[in-house]
Amino acid sequence: MGQEREEILSAIQHCVKCKLCSIANFHPAEEWQPLCPSGEFYGYQAFYAPGKLEIFREILEGGLTESSEGLLKSVYACTLCGACYEKCRQVTSVEMRLPELFEELRGELVRKGWSLSVHREIAEKIKETRNAYGERQKYRDGAKSTNENAEVLYFIGCTARYRVPEIADAMLEIFDKLGIKYQVLGEEWCCGSVLLRTGQVEAAKELVAHNSEVIKNSGAKTVVFTCPGCLNTFKKNYPELGVELVHSTQFLAGLGEGEGGSDGDESSGGGLEVKKLGMAVAYHDPCHLGRDLGIYEEPRAVLKEVAGEKVKEMKREREQAWCCGSGGGVKSAFDEFALWCAGERVKEARAAGAEALVSACPFCKRNLKEAAEREAEEREETEKEGEEKEGKGMKIYDVVELVSKGLEGRRK
Amino acid sequence: MNFLKLVQGVVGEENATSDRAICASYSRDQHWHFVPAKNPAFVVRPGDKEEVREVLVLANREKVPVVPYSTGINVRGLAIPVHEGSVLLDLSRMNRILEVNPEMKTATVEPGVTFGMLLEETRKHKLRPAFPDAPLTVSVLVNYYLRGIYQTSAADGHDHTLSYEMILPNGETLKTGSRSLSEMPYFRYGVGPDFTGVFSAHPGTCGVVTELTAKLYRLYDNRKVYFVGFDEVGAATKVIYNLMNDELAASIRLVDNQSWLKGICGTFDFPYEELPKFVLCVLVEGVDGIFEAKAKLVQEYLADSADSADSADSGGTGGRVLEFPAEFARTFEEESLGGAEKSCMVFGLQGRGNYHCIGLYGPLTLAAEYYALHEKTALEVGIPQDHVHFYIDPIYSFHGQLCYFELDVFYDGSEPGAGEKLRNYNAKQFQRLLDLGIYGWFRPYAGIIEPTVERIGHLAEVWKKFLRVLDPNEIMNRGKLL
Ligand SMILES: Cc1cc2nc3c(=O)[nH]c(=O)nc-3n(C[C@H](O)[C@H](O)[C@H](O)COP(=O)(O)OP(=O)(O)OC[C@H]3O[C@@H](n4cnc5c(N)ncnc54)[C@H](O)[C@@H]3O)c2cc1C
Ligand code: SF4
Ligand code: SF4
Repeated sequence: MGQEREEILSAIQHCVKCKLCSIANFHPAEEWQPLCPSGEFYGYQAFYAPGKLEIFREILEGGLTESSEGLLKSVYACTLCGACYEKCRQVTSVEMRLPELFEELRGELVRKGWSLSVHREIAEKIKETRNAYGERQKYRDGAKSTNENAEVLYFIGCTARYRVPEIADAMLEIFDKLGIKYQVLGEEWCCGSVLLRTGQVEAAKELVAHNSEVIKNSGAKTVVFTCPGCLNTFKKNYPELGVELVHSTQFLAGLGEGEGGSDGDESSGGGLEVKKLGMAVAYHDPCHLGRDLGIYEEPRAVLKEVAGEKVKEMKREREQAWCCGSGGGVKSAFDEFALWCAGERVKEARAAGAEALVSACPFCKRNLKEAAEREAEEREETEKEGEEKEGKGMKIYDVVELVSKGLEGRRK
Repeated sequence: MNFLKLVQGVVGEENATSDRAICASYSRDQHWHFVPAKNPAFVVRPGDKEEVREVLVLANREKVPVVPYSTGINVRGLAIPVHEGSVLLDLSRMNRILEVNPEMKTATVEPGVTFGMLLEETRKHKLRPAFPDAPLTVSVLVNYYLRGIYQTSAADGHDHTLSYEMILPNGETLKTGSRSLSEMPYFRYGVGPDFTGVFSAHPGTCGVVTELTAKLYRLYDNRKVYFVGFDEVGAATKVIYNLMNDELAASIRLVDNQSWLKGICGTFDFPYEELPKFVLCVLVEGVDGIFEAKAKLVQEYLADSADSADSADSGGTGGRVLEFPAEFARTFEEESLGGAEKSCMVFGLQGRGNYHCIGLYGPLTLAAEYYALHEKTALEVGIPQDHVHFYIDPIYSFHGQLCYFELDVFYDGSEPGAGEKLRNYNAKQFQRLLDLGIYGWFRPYAGIIEPTVERIGHLAEVWKKFLRVLDPNEIMNRGKLL
């Protein structure tokens, strides 16, 4: 057990079951806005943070000796989004580190052999193919790094390689347009995030060791990630590699540093010469990027370069952003729930007046896009029935896609 | 057919379970040092009152104990099963606001409606419910049915329930107040005795309340906040008396500088220790004209009090008007008249995280004695003095100088021995307070009710018989009285 039993029990004892972690700050807007996707979708107390803590206690104290459908569902149908933790610490000042506790809980379940078959299958796929989707082809087969010893290394991640390659394409195009030499790893393995988040800690060790080794040998000084899940895993679960680890939006915002951005601000994205898109966009904070890594401003700054004043804030944002629904192994195991969650976010973006919902994470993009497409289909059906609905289907992008679309070069 | 299958037939398979993990998630609340964890055998989530009725009838027939649960946040172990094989009736799906009636200044709600949800609707009409200083995630219906305490908006007085509808174990519906006579549920005293009162505030419940009509209060645009510091409890009581006697303030709370004040001000990051030991927080509101007049009078009372502090090189014990950052007043206003989120959640101080309190009603005249007793008993049982906190909330219209007092301990529940100290504290303190004299307890929960019924004579017998009439099979969450 990563954390000691007593330490975990002590944290659990601090929960007063107030359930304030299930809603976003009520004041000053005085609007009731749910924050915990799993509780909101499933309803039973077991799906809210305080209920999960009791389940953990019951397991540690030996009261729960068998797996059950309810156990697996309540423990694994949680996106580990951390919204509960952020809200709780704000109102109570107690640091319960809930997502870490929930990861520990999953680790404990896996040690007892109580895991989901779909998660075990992912581990199998990774073992065979070194990627979470079991894909055998390589991303852009034959594509080469511009420079094998380049100081910048782009760690693509499984989802951008195999499910939303437009994000990886966009990132490479940005490097090219900016004349930045980069390398990508021929032998990039899954970062291990999905295994670690689903409690399969042992299986992740080999991946961590491999990636650490190849990155150390690459000569790179900066590793750029478009996937916050990979970045978070590198920061949290990898040994010190002696390289700078940055998210794409930090990298782009950093180009303006010391060069006087558009508003003279550091980390402003002001180093980019970008044509404005003329489209109202809302920014969705990915959980790993925002709540886990505290990166809230850079994506907004870069997005502002592309969309100017047309960036809309949704009601739940930053620390209290509503999760897209795909993290923590949820997308693979509980797709209906994941899509419902993303659908709620799409609605929120529309209510904020956005035509496009922009994230900075391939995992978010994939799920939000599926939800938006589903919603558009449903909309079409109801329209056929003569019931007009307002607005068009929501477009979904990653920040780097919009940057690559409008990028004209570096600001002189 | 087994019980689970029967209730699944009523509420649908996905809304009833005997899954051990799901049941375990309902096994404990913050009062676990006093009410041990216990799993219900089933959790059932009805979607409407007809489903509630059918489940109750089944449970009554099969003699399965029933624990209604609306939001489960009561912090007194009230929704933790006592008996093996209980069914926990999770009513949170029933969360419709059935009516907000601005003309009548009332709202009718189902059990799952929270204070936050209700305010979101009522504020559209410049109205609000009376708020407890409880997280705004708690059920309005249950809070009123249990007869909570509404210190955030003390001017509203004490009783906010007009009428309700309750389903008994035999499936019969009881309607109280004018609800029993007409479609107008807006008057509490419909026929004969005050049934609305008689069926509520038990240590447990007689049936399941499925809808309740409550009073709403006006939201005013004019508001002003004052904070005044005192070194002693006794010194503050004179000012409190004046403010209450002239009915000047919407909210009046005396708190010590290390506890609730931090939530009222909305930040943990302020040198509270440099303030006087007790701080009186006062909020004035009203329509134009009346508001200005009230604010003027309040200022005069506070200035008088401050003068007596000046003269007191002297040993004078008057107050000191405190200048705080503007956002402190804003948080106090928001949380007093818009639902508590921070102001009730401050016990995480120094990583402690748990909260124990004895809440009681008594006269303002005994304020200093209650506090002295609190400090004394805590010291005797080994509770550190910096864990000891205090709260006074006077209640309009102030007959009997009615106040709510809270004797608080903020502690670390995971610390070995914490539970034992608190149990020792309770054992002594309940008796001492009863000896000193109180009007009543905040709520009749486990531990507090036992020493109390011993003192109420024949009333205890009548009370028990009364509950048996409503629930002859004793299946309801009778809790701790019988
Ligand atoms: C930090 C904190 C501070 C608080 N401060 C205050 C305060 O200042 N003032 C105050 O009044 N309260 C306070 N409370 C308590 C809070 O108000 C209660 O939680 C609330 O009154 C009712 O709790 P609940 O809705 O969660 O009810 P539950 O926990 O769901 O139920 C409580 C009891 O009512 C019964 N019950 C539930 N639903 C029904 C129903 N539909 N019909 C019949 N019986 C039912 C249950 O069986 C149980 O006995 C505080 C709570 C917390 C956590
Ligand atoms: S986790 Fe924190 S906010 Fe959530 S119920 Fe527990 S104490 Fe309250
Ligand atoms: S991590 Fe997210 S989904 Fe999981 S309990 Fe917390 S708020 Fe809910």
